[in-house]
Formats: sequence, C-alpha cells, structure tokens
Amino acid sequence: MTLSDRIESLLMRVQKPARYMGGEFNAVMKDPDKVDVRFAFLFPDTYEVGMSHLGMKILYHAVNRLDYAWCERVFSPWVDMADLMRENGIPLFSIESRTPVRAFDILGVTLQYEMSYTNILDALDLAGIPLRAEDRHEGPFIVVGGPCAFNPEPLAPFVDLVALGDGEEETVQLVETYRAWKASGADRAEFLRMASRIRGIYVPSFYDVRYNEDGTVAAVTPKPGTDAPQVVYKAMVRDLDAASYPDKLIVPYNEVVHNRIMLEIFRGCTRGCRFCQAGMIYRPVRERSLDELMAIAEKLVDATGYDEISLMSLSSGDYSCLPELAHQMVEKFAQRRVRISLPSQRIDNVLTETLRETQKVKKTALTLAPEAGTQRLRDVINKGVTEEDLMRAVSDAFNEGWSAVKLYFMIGLPTETDQDVLGIADLARKVRECYFRVPKDRRAPGLRITVSASVFVPKNFTPFQWTAQLDEATVVRRQRMLLEELKKVKGVDFKYHDMSTSYMEAVLARGDRRTADALERAFRLGCRMDGWSDQYRHDLWLRAFEEVGLDPSFYANRVRNLDEVLPWDHLDAGVSKAFLVREWKKAEAGETTRDCRKGCVGCGVNRYEEAKTCGQ
Amino acid sequence: MRAMIRFGKEPRLRFISHLDLQRFFQRALNRTGLPIAYTQGFNPHPVMSFGSALALGWTSEYEILDIKLSVPMGRKRTEEAMRSALPEDLPVLETRMVDDRHPAPMAQVKASDYRITLPEARVEAFHRALAAFSQMDSVKAVRKTKSGEKEIDIRPLALQMEPTKTGLWARLSLTEKCTLKPDLWLDALAGLVGEPPVEARIHRLCLLGMDAEGALKPLMEL
Repeated sequence: MTLSDRIESLLMRVQKPARYMGGEFNAVMKDPDKVDVRFAFLFPDTYEVGMSHLGMKILYHAVNRLDYAWCERVFSPWVDMADLMRENGIPLFSIESRTPVRAFDILGVTLQYEMSYTNILDALDLAGIPLRAEDRHEGPFIVVGGPCAFNPEPLAPFVDLVALGDGEEETVQLVETYRAWKASGADRAEFLRMASRIRGIYVPSFYDVRYNEDGTVAAVTPKPGTDAPQVVYKAMVRDLDAASYPDKLIVPYNEVVHNRIMLEIFRGCTRGCRFCQAGMIYRPVRERSLDELMAIAEKLVDATGYDEISLMSLSSGDYSCLPELAHQMVEKFAQRRVRISLPSQRIDNVLTETLRETQKVKKTALTLAPEAGTQRLRDVINKGVTEEDLMRAVSDAFNEGWSAVKLYFMIGLPTETDQDVLGIADLARKVRECYFRVPKDRRAPGLRITVSASVFVPKNFTPFQWTAQLDEATVVRRQRMLLEELKKVKGVDFKYHDMSTSYMEAVLARGDRRTADALERAFRLGCRMDGWSDQYRHDLWLRAFEEVGLDPSFYANRVRNLDEVLPWDHLDAGVSKAFLVREWKKAEAGETTRDCRKGCVGCGVNRYEEAKTCGQ
Repeated sequence: MRAMIRFGKEPRLRFISHLDLQRFFQRALNRTGLPIAYTQGFNPHPVMSFGSALALGWTSEYEILDIKLSVPMGRKRTEEAMRSALPEDLPVLETRMVDDRHPAPMAQVKASDYRITLPEARVEAFHRALAAFSQMDSVKAVRKTKSGEKEIDIRPLALQMEPTKTGLWARLSLTEKCTLKPDLWLDALAGLVGEPPVEARIHRLCLLGMDAEGALKPLMEL
C-alpha cells in the first residue's frame, strides 16, 4: 500500500476528513523529479486556521513561482488524526503530494502565536525528525519565521534557522542558497554558514548564551569561527508593489475561518500603540498602490470565484486613499456580486463615507478596539483615540443602519486600576445610549453589543517588554468585577479569556533559551493544540516547568530593569531599543506619542537602507 | 436555457460533503465566466440544483449539476468553461443543454446504480448473502431518519443486483419516499449471514429516471 492509500484508510475514521484531503482548486502540483528544492510549509495548527492565513499564501506563491522549487502545505493533524497516524505508523505528510515531511529539503514553520509551539514539536515527532537540531544529520533544515520569530529562543534548540522580517524575498533567497549548497555537495554546517549571510537569517546554534547568577541573561555572543554577526537585522521589503503577491489562491472545499480573498493593502502601522508587537515589528509603513490593488483584486476574483474581498492591514482606515479604493472596488465588483469588507476597523477614522460604500453590498458587525476603558489608560498605551471618537464612530454606524458592535479591550495593562476596568462597562453603556438616540424609524432593529476582554500579554520589541504581566488573582478579580458591572447593561454580551493560557503565552513570549527544556518537557507530558481551550492542559505545563527547575513567573511576572540583557537583544526588529525605552518612560508618565504620519517620532527604522527616507 | 452537466467525484475528493460541494460550485460558477442566472432577493445565488446528494466517502461518475443560463450558450463552450473551473478530481463527463421546461433532475431520479467494492476476504460471504436476499420476499431493516428510526421493507427497493469479482453491483431505489442506501443494504446483507458490518468502497455508476414507457433510463438520456 502506498502512503496515500494508508492515509485514505484513516480518513473514514476522523472528524472533518476534508482537512487532509487536498486536491483543491489552484493547489500547485509539480513533478517532483523536475524540481531541485522541495519546501514544506508547516502551519502548526489545523487546516481551517492555517488556510485562513495570508502570510502562508504569499510565501506559497513566492516559492512556487520558482520553476526549480515546489512548496507544499503541511498542517497539524487534529488530535484524533495524530493518534491514528501514530498507531498506524503514518508519518506527517504534505497535503499536495502526500510526501513524508522528512523527505523534504526545507521545512518552513510560521510562528503566529506562542501557543502553537508544542504543535511544532508534535509535527517533528510525527514526521520522524529528531526534535533537537544537534541530533539531526539528515532530512530537512527547519526554518521558522513570522512575528514570534523575533523571540525564537524558546525554540532555539529545535530549529536550524530563524527568518526575521518580511518573508517574500528572504524565503526565495534561502531557497536559492539551498539549491547552491546542494549542488556544491558541502556539509550541513556549511549550509548554515551560507544561510547566515542572508539578511534576516539568524542561526541560533552559532550563538552562546551566558546567564547571571540571578537567572537573567548575561550575554548572547557569536561562537568563535562562525563568522555570525553580533546583531541580526530583519529582512525588509522596500516596495510592496514590486513584491510577490499571489495571482491565484487555493480555494478550500470545507469552510475555513476566513474563506475569501485577502488583499494586503499596506504593511506596517504608524500609530505606535505601545502594547502592539505587530505595530512595532512590521515598520515602516509601505502601501500598495491603488492601481496595483485593483489589478491584483481582479486577477484573484477571476481565479477563485470568491464573492468577498477583505482589505487587510494593521489599520485599514489609515490607507492614504481608502475612500477612493473602496469606491473603485465597489464600482468594479458590485456587478459581479463581490462584497468588500474592512476588518479590524479603528474608531478614529472618518468612517462614514467608506461605510456608505461597503454597506451597499453587505453589513457586518462594526468592530472597534478601544483597548482600555478610560482616557488615562488609553494614553498610557498610546491608543490615540478618545471617547468622543468612539461615540462618533458608533453613532455614524447606527445612523447608517448598523446594529451590531463588537468592542475589544484588554485587562491587565500596565498601571491599570479597578477604575479603568469599570470604565469598560461605562463605555458599553454609552454605546447603548448612542443607539437609542437614533430615531427608531432610522435605526436597524436588534442592537447587539459584544464586549470582549483579553488578558494583556507583554511582548518583546514593544515598550512594554520590561513590564510584568498582572498576577492571576487580580486579573480574575477584575474580570468578575467587570462581569457584574456589565450585567447591569442590557443587551451586552461579555466574552473574556481564561487567564492560564495568557500566562503561558507571556512566559514563552519573553522566554530565554532555557525555556526550551520546559517546552520539550510539556510536549513529552502530552501538551499539544494549546491554543484550543478544550485541549490546553495548564497543569501539565506547570509540571513541565517544575520538572526542569524553572519558575514560569520569572518570565511572566517579573519587572525587568532597563539595563538587563534581554534574550532577544541580539536581534533587530527595526525599532531601536532607545525608542522603546523612551516610549516606556512616556507610558509611565501617561504621555502620548503622535502618529508618525504627522511627524517622525524617531523609532529608528530609518537606520535600514530600505527605509532611509522614512520620516522625511 | 439550462445546462445539465454530468461530472465525476474521484476518490481523492470523496470527503467533500454535499453542502460544501454546493458552496464549491457557487464559486466555481463564478470562475467560469458563464452568464449564470441568479435568484432574486436580498442574497442572490446562482440558480443551480443537483441530481442527488452523494454521501460522504462515496465516489461517482454520475453526478448531475443543473444550472440556469441567462443567455443561450453553446454546449461546447459551456462544457469548456466548466472544465476550466473544476479541479481534475471533479471531471466534467457530459453536458446537455435543455429547455427551461425540462424537468429538474432531482424530480426525475428513480434509482441509482452502484459498484460496491468489498475487502477481498469478505466477497464470498456477501455473495452468499446476496443469493439469500434474492430468494426472500421481504427483508426488514431499520432506517434512521431525522424524525427517528423507522422499520421498512427494503426487499422491493433493491431493484436489481449481481455478484461481481470485487464485490457487488446493485440498482437501488432512489426516490423521495423510497430510498435504499447501499450502506444500509450492506448492513442487512451482513445480518442475513451473521457477518459483522463491512467497510466498502461505494461508487455511483448511474442515476436513472423513468421514460414514457415506464422503463428506467440514465438521467442524461431522458
């Protein structure tokens, strides 16, 4: 029996077999004998989650444009399938050709969230690949990228390479380098050396980490003879119009989380919200031109048959000609019954015009993220919006016929008090009042307000990287307090997160290289699919840390000194450390920093050649 | 004008549910560039229907998609457009242009032919069961429906059947009121000879309707 037949024989016995099926429209098939480099792209979560991820689509396309390389997709099998695969000795396989992952040349893994880390170890184990890089003498090189790659230390022993920054050009360079290395016949160590010369590529095994007696990092230094740089700078795409963007998208058969055309209108964000890692590490802002976006959109509508285009970015309202774009899109695609949607709406844009355009086709819930309940705290986190902005946006929406509003907040932000949390309920109450101020014959029936409060996780490369995560007891107390307070506001649905996952996320987000042992231990104890609350085993995670002799609170709940060496200090994410320090001090003082579209704030990204004109 | 398109479902795609397939065809039709007629109303969707839903896990060479065109189109161009919009595991096998008044395929279906492939070791037992089944006047089986379980006589619903080298061939009734699904039939056969249930590969060979003389005929030829 072939591997494909053996996989088939399991599919009748698992939930959602279409996850493992493949054969989708626009999936890329190539002749394995006619390519030099086989690249497996692992999204370490389920098919439905992974197939909703834009970055994977971009890189899949970028690699498959090379005639000598073939990129295939790999997803984490759900626990039922993973167990059956182990029972039946079926190795982790690619979706397209059902080739065992261990037979690939490169295994690329995207790091979108920390709670997927055990899935990476599970994937390696299922693939029959030794977990630790030092134990591997054959098989694919493992490279990780994505936002969490800016602190890859908890994964350092398991990976060969880390790709920092924009992946389009960097991944292609890596594939080219691999091809040259393969042709040269040199040893595995030589490939790492060759790869380390690519901008953005960090080779963890080329660095020694020394620790102080108190457990903090003393220094991370290149090993002698490796020629590795003191600091690894991220890769940066200069011009998005020139960068690779898919002209085809795989159309899944089953419903995935985001089943539509995703159009990245720009990368980066100028707002400078201090909690937001994405807003820091994706700098500088680079827009795709209107013409380019229209051209891509048309190709993708033709190639996929999708009836929805989602305009993606960190802050779509900031696109410099958004009304014009929305107008042209609606004009061009309404006839073809294609809807245009704008996710992650901010509350401080002049929304009305765009709203009027998009609602011609469809009305979804208006999503706003005030993040904090009081102006004082919004100033601390530099969320440059006022209550007035919020109320204007909500009123506009209600007047335009919206009746559903989702409000996103965080609990546990630095300097937060009970009053700040009660302010969330206050805002919800005022939003409700806004709705009832709209004349009854004008407003849409069925007001729905959803208040969602996550637990704040301090992230590296943000001004809050030195701060402690709020202790569990206080978080839980404030969650309950808010729950009680929101019960008094009619028609509000309150959603909040379990603290324990956010705690472990905080540990891994700022973990050092030693936390890798705890991660491996947690995996051995049975942790996997930690991002799914029904699978997450907090008890096992705590046990894993205890067994390797590490205190997770050292990473989550400790305030770092500004002069402490941070585990990621040898990496450069674009913004300078001096800027982050400045922003942290301003946060403590409750001072805001302007949106840098209104004038450069000196974040340091213009140290990069590709961004040297930024801010001028 | 309508187009009746017969397509197949290859093994790789046998796990697409009927609901997912419907959604898939909505997008596929958008890709064809054909002048598809849309329903009126708040949420317009293409006017399309299917011959009969295929259960998850089965394969087929006789699925029928019926679409309405707002502008007359040639058979060949319609078929080419469909082919370009479908993956190779959903092959377009036959296209027929029909008048709007042609009955909907769904309303015409009376029976379906199946090829049932059994594990080699089980073939002999099922051949015995088939012989026994054929001799009987009535075979009771419990059919699970949305409203609960119901005991029915399945014997008259098995219209025609034969042993084959790899398993069985069967023509089973498929109407709104009287449907015998091959898996239920296989369970009944297993029961007759005291065998455990079997995991079989089920493949639809043909959908049939009734012509003016009352004879069963492939749907595309009616």
